[in-house]
Amino acid sequence: MSAPDHAALQVLYSEHNGWLKAWLRARMGNASDAADLAQDTFVRLLTSRDVTQIREPRTYLSAIARALMIDKFRRRALEQAYLEALALRTEPLEISPETRLLIFETLVAVDTLLDGLGERTRQIFLAVQLEGLNYVATAARYGVSVTTVKKHLIRAMTRCLLLTED
Amino acid sequence: MSTALDIQTLEAAAIWYVQLKGTNPCDAERQAWRTWLQASPEHARAWARVEKLHSQWAGLPADVSLTTLAGGRARRREVLKILAVLLAVGGGGWLATETVPYQALMANQRTATGQRRHVRLSDGSQVDLNTDSAMDIVFSGQLRSIRLHRGEILVRTASDVLGRPFVVQTPQGTVRALGTRFTVRCGPGRTDVCVIEQAVELRPLDNPVQVVRLDAGQQSGFNRQQVGPITPAPAGAGAWSQGMLTVVDWRLADFLAELGRYRAGVLRCAPAIADLRLSGAFRIDDTDTVLENLRQSLAVNVRYVTRYWVTVEPA
Repeated sequence: MSAPDHAALQVLYSEHNGWLKAWLRARMGNASDAADLAQDTFVRLLTSRDVTQIREPRTYLSAIARALMIDKFRRRALEQAYLEALALRTEPLEISPETRLLIFETLVAVDTLLDGLGERTRQIFLAVQLEGLNYVATAARYGVSVTTVKKHLIRAMTRCLLLTED
Repeated sequence: MSTALDIQTLEAAAIWYVQLKGTNPCDAERQAWRTWLQASPEHARAWARVEKLHSQWAGLPADVSLTTLAGGRARRREVLKILAVLLAVGGGGWLATETVPYQALMANQRTATGQRRHVRLSDGSQVDLNTDSAMDIVFSGQLRSIRLHRGEILVRTASDVLGRPFVVQTPQGTVRALGTRFTVRCGPGRTDVCVIEQAVELRPLDNPVQVVRLDAGQQSGFNRQQVGPITPAPAGAGAWSQGMLTVVDWRLADFLAELGRYRAGVLRCAPAIADLRLSGAFRIDDTDTVLENLRQSLAVNVRYVTRYWVTVEPA
């Protein structure tokens, strides 16, 4: 980050941080969550575009904050669903708290990877990867050909590879 | 820092992955893959990502993962609708967990052909899923609800501390439990209900003022418009939850159609013997043995074209 960028960011921070925290608090009902997300919003700015080019700082900041809020919400929704899924099991899953957390983090990753794929692609991917169905059984379940199953899987896998770090 | 991998390389890696995972690859295929892998460091990098993802996914327990992903999405869909409005107008405090307006529990439960599953719900009620069935469990602050998409369930309701009604919804309408044990079977265009204990109320979807009460030992069916006649429940209703199919004086064709629900593939009955009659209790977990018993007791021939294509015909 160049020097003018740095200065611009400082100005942005001192002028709008208080406003952003208040904006977030009004929507989240929790001051510490709001402070965390305001911080995250500025961190996101650091790694994004040329700060000096921003014309409408509050519109821009609230757009980032909104996206982060939705991420946080998605994570929370998934966390609730995960706890319920564990509670729903007929036999309890005998796993350590570490494994439990690891599974959850992987599910968050899978959920993010699959977001934006078509419903059918998603279903087929889950049937093969998670249920362990073979291609023929998957094709029969969704009334499509094995070639189509493969096409969906390739689409899903390509997206996953694209979004995965080395 | 290394450069980003291009989409063609990633797609090639994805194609290889899908190809190698699907079949037991032959030597030539494996050799072709190795050649591709060694052709460039980019290929090796893309493949390293494949292996990374694959090992992550391999550690996921299937049922919990599928339920979690489905539940997370269901929750999100509901709340995002509200979210869109509230973000626009700046509503207060909605994101705090306590105030999320949608507290439903949604879980995708599904069985394959020949599979059964016992599910205990958060209120203490129990549901058995029969072969090839799918349901969602949707509990809210006002209602305990099961959406039956396909197949058959046996429900034992528990009394609820919150006093919420318990209903089973099918594409044809709803079945409301009045503290009870009953089965619901969802077929094409029709839902069949059989009450084992206490009573239920049936409400066809397009005719909700027609409420029909079924008591213990009664069965009936309904489509979207109306409830059919009430008849005595057959002996052994719900016995499938114990792995049994109990029939009294059934036509062979009907019996084989029922038995066919529990096995993959095609089970045909030759017309010439369709009207043979039989009674008995049969183990649905081992349909091959059932067919063998039929062969001996009814003097019919059981012809296996393949494991998945069986015809019962005159001996």
